[in-house]
Amino acid sequence: MSDTATLSPPEVDSPPESPQAAVAPTPALPPTMPRRRELIFGTVFVTAGVAMALLTLIGSYLATRDAAGAAWLADNQIALTQPNMQMLTMVMSVVTMQWAVWSICRDDRYHTYLAIGVTMLLGIAFVNQSTFLFKEAGIAITQPEGPLFYAVTLGHLAMVIAGLVFLLLMAFRTLGGQYSSRQPDGIGAAAVFWYAGVALYAVIWFAVYIQK
Amino acid sequence: MTLTDTRSSSDTPPAAAGSPSPTALERVIGTGEHEAIGRTFIMGSLLLMAVSAAALAAGALRSLSDGGPLDVTDNLWNSALVGMVLMGAIPLLLGLAICLIPLQVGSKAIAFPRAAALSLWTWLVSAVIFAISLGLDGGVGGADLEASRLGMLSMGSMMVALSLGAVCVATTVLSHRPVGMSLARVPFFSWSMLVAAPIWILTFGSTTAHVFLGQISQANAAGLALRYEAGVAWFLRAPSVYMLAIPVLGISCDLVAQGCGRRIARYGTVQALIAMFGVFSFGAWTQTSGGRENILWIAFVALAAVPVLGLLGLIADTLRHQKPAVSPGLIGVLLAFLLLLGGMLAGVLEALNTSGSGTLFSFEAVGLGWAQSLFLLSAAFIGGLAALSAWSRVVLRASAPGAIASAAIAAGLIGGGLLATVFLIQGLTGFGLNLSFYNVWVAVAAAVLALSALLGLMLTLVTSRGHARQPVTAGAAGLTLEWAQAELSPEDQALVMRTIVASPYPLLDFRFTGEAVEEDK
Repeated sequence: MSDTATLSPPEVDSPPESPQAAVAPTPALPPTMPRRRELIFGTVFVTAGVAMALLTLIGSYLATRDAAGAAWLADNQIALTQPNMQMLTMVMSVVTMQWAVWSICRDDRYHTYLAIGVTMLLGIAFVNQSTFLFKEAGIAITQPEGPLFYAVTLGHLAMVIAGLVFLLLMAFRTLGGQYSSRQPDGIGAAAVFWYAGVALYAVIWFAVYIQK
Repeated sequence: MTLTDTRSSSDTPPAAAGSPSPTALERVIGTGEHEAIGRTFIMGSLLLMAVSAAALAAGALRSLSDGGPLDVTDNLWNSALVGMVLMGAIPLLLGLAICLIPLQVGSKAIAFPRAAALSLWTWLVSAVIFAISLGLDGGVGGADLEASRLGMLSMGSMMVALSLGAVCVATTVLSHRPVGMSLARVPFFSWSMLVAAPIWILTFGSTTAHVFLGQISQANAAGLALRYEAGVAWFLRAPSVYMLAIPVLGISCDLVAQGCGRRIARYGTVQALIAMFGVFSFGAWTQTSGGRENILWIAFVALAAVPVLGLLGLIADTLRHQKPAVSPGLIGVLLAFLLLLGGMLAGVLEALNTSGSGTLFSFEAVGLGWAQSLFLLSAAFIGGLAALSAWSRVVLRASAPGAIASAAIAAGLIGGGLLATVFLIQGLTGFGLNLSFYNVWVAVAAAVLALSALLGLMLTLVTSRGHARQPVTAGAAGLTLEWAQAELSPEDQALVMRTIVASPYPLLDFRFTGEAVEEDK
C-alpha cells in the first residue's frame, strides 16, 4: 500500500549469533519519513470542522437577516467593488496555489517558491482589502447586524490568516528540503485548506454582499 | 521489505549523561505517547463523569427540598447533561480510541501526537473551568453573567479539543495502516471511530460557531441561555445524540468476535451498517424547530434503528454459532446495546408522535427527547466501561479485576437505565409522575451513575497500579493486532508485524497457520 509506505528501521532486531556480532557497531538508522497523506488527511478533517463552523455562522446570518427584513443594514452602505475585487483576488490565488502543488510534484523548487510567494501576496492583499471594506462599511459591533456580520466576515478572515501562516510554514519546510515530488504532502495540505477558504468566501460573497 | 512503523515524532533521544531527568509530572505533561494520553483521558473522564452525575443528583435533591420539579431548563440539569456528554462519555471513548487504535492498525504512534496531547490538556483544563463556572451559578444557562460566559467558553473549548483528538484518531486509521490492511480490513472499533470522528468534528464545528456568536454578541445571562437552547442544545437531541453510540457499535462487534474467538460473518455488511448509523446520526441540519418537524427528521430518527437492528442480528448470529467466553466486557457491551435500543425506541416514539398534524399520541416531546439523550449517553458510557474492562491488558497493561468491572457496569446500567426510564415515562405520561417520586428517582439514579464512574476510576487505578505488565498468556485469543504485545513473544510480534495483513483478524490468521500468512518480499 503505497500511501502508508515509509522508511523506518525494523522494530525488533534478530538476536546476535556470535560474540563478534554482539559487539558489531549498529548501523546508523535511516531517516524516518513522514507517512504519506497523513498531513493531508488531518488537514481535510480540520478544514471540515472550520467550514462547518463558518457555514453555521452564515446560516445564522441569513436566518436573522430574513427575519429582520428591509431593516437589515439599512443604515450602512456596502459598495460591491470591494467584495468583487476580493473574490477576484481569491480566484487568482487558487491558480497560483495549484501552480505551487504542480511545481513541487515535479521537483521544480524555484517555481514552488515563486507560486507560494505570489499566493501569499494575494492572501495579504485580501486581508488588506477586508480591513478597508470594514472601514468603508462602518458597521458597528453594537448595532443589531454587527455581531453576525463580523462573526461571518472576521471568522473567514481568521481562516485566511491561518492559511497564510500554514503556507509560510510549508514554504520554510520546503526550503529546508522536507517536501519534494516524493513527499509533497505539506504543500498539498496547505492547498486543501486554501481552496476551502476560497470556496467559503464565494459563499460569503454571494450570501452577505451580493444578496445584502 | 516495506515496513510501516515510524518512530513517534514525540520520541526523544536518551538524556545526556549529567542532564537532569524529567520528573514524573513532567513526563506526564510532556508526553506524546498515545497510551499515556489515552489513559489520562480515560481517568479524567471517569472522574468528571462522577462530578457531572453528582451535580445532577444535587439538582434533584435541591428541587426536592424546594418542593418544585426538576426543571429540564434549569442550568444545573443542562450543565450536568452537557458535562456527562463532553466531560464523561465522549472523552472516555476518545481516550480508548487514542490508546487502542494505533495498536489496532499496527502503528507505534498516533498521528500528530503533539496535537493529541494538546487535545487532552485543552479538554482537561476546559472541563475543570466548566465545573468551576457551574459552581458559580454559570455553566450553561446560569444566572450569573460572567460565570455563564466562562461556562459557554469552556464548553466550546472542550468541543474544539475533542474534535482535535478525533482528527488524530481518524488520521491514524487512514494513514497508519500496515501493508495489506485496507479500510475493509480495519478492526470494527477503528472503523467505527473513523465513522464517528467526522460526525463529531462537523457537529462540534457547528455548535462551536454558536458559542462564538454568544461570546461576541455581548448577550446577557438570559441571552446566553437562549443561545444555548437555540444553537447548541440540538446536539443532545435525536438524531445528533446518536453520534455518541457510533463507537459502541464497533466495540460490540470486536468484543463479540473476541469472546467467541471467531470471525464476524459479513464483515463488509457490518461496516456498512456502522457507516449507515453514522450518516443517520448527522443532525446539524436540525438546529431550528422547523428542521425537527418534518418528514426528513422523522425518517432519520426512525431509519437510524435499522442499522442497529441489523447489527444486533449479526451479533446474535455470531453468538448462536459459537458460545462465547463470558466476561464483564462482553456482558457490558451487550447491555450497552440494550440501552441503545431504548434510545432508538424513544426516538421512534417521538417520530411517530410528530407524524401528521399536531401530535399523534399526545406524548411529551421534551421528556422523550431527554430520554433519548440519557439512553444514548448511558449506552456510550457503559460501552466505554466494557471496552476498558475487555481491553484492560492492552490499555492498562494488566487484567482488570472482574468484580470491580462487573460492579461498575452494573451500577452504570442501573443508574443510566433508571435515569433514562424516568424521562421515558415522563414523556409517555406528559410529566405525570408524582413530583417527589420523580425528584427522588432522578437523585438516586444520578447518584448510582456517579458511583459507576467512581468504580470505573477505581478499576483503572487498581489495574494500572496494582499489576506489573503481565507475562504472555498461554491460550489467550486476541484476534486483532492490538493484542500482539500482550499475547505474543517478541519474536512472534516481529513476525506478525512483518506480515502482510490478509484478513481483518491478523492474529487469528497467525495462530491458525502457525506462521506468517504471506511475507512481504
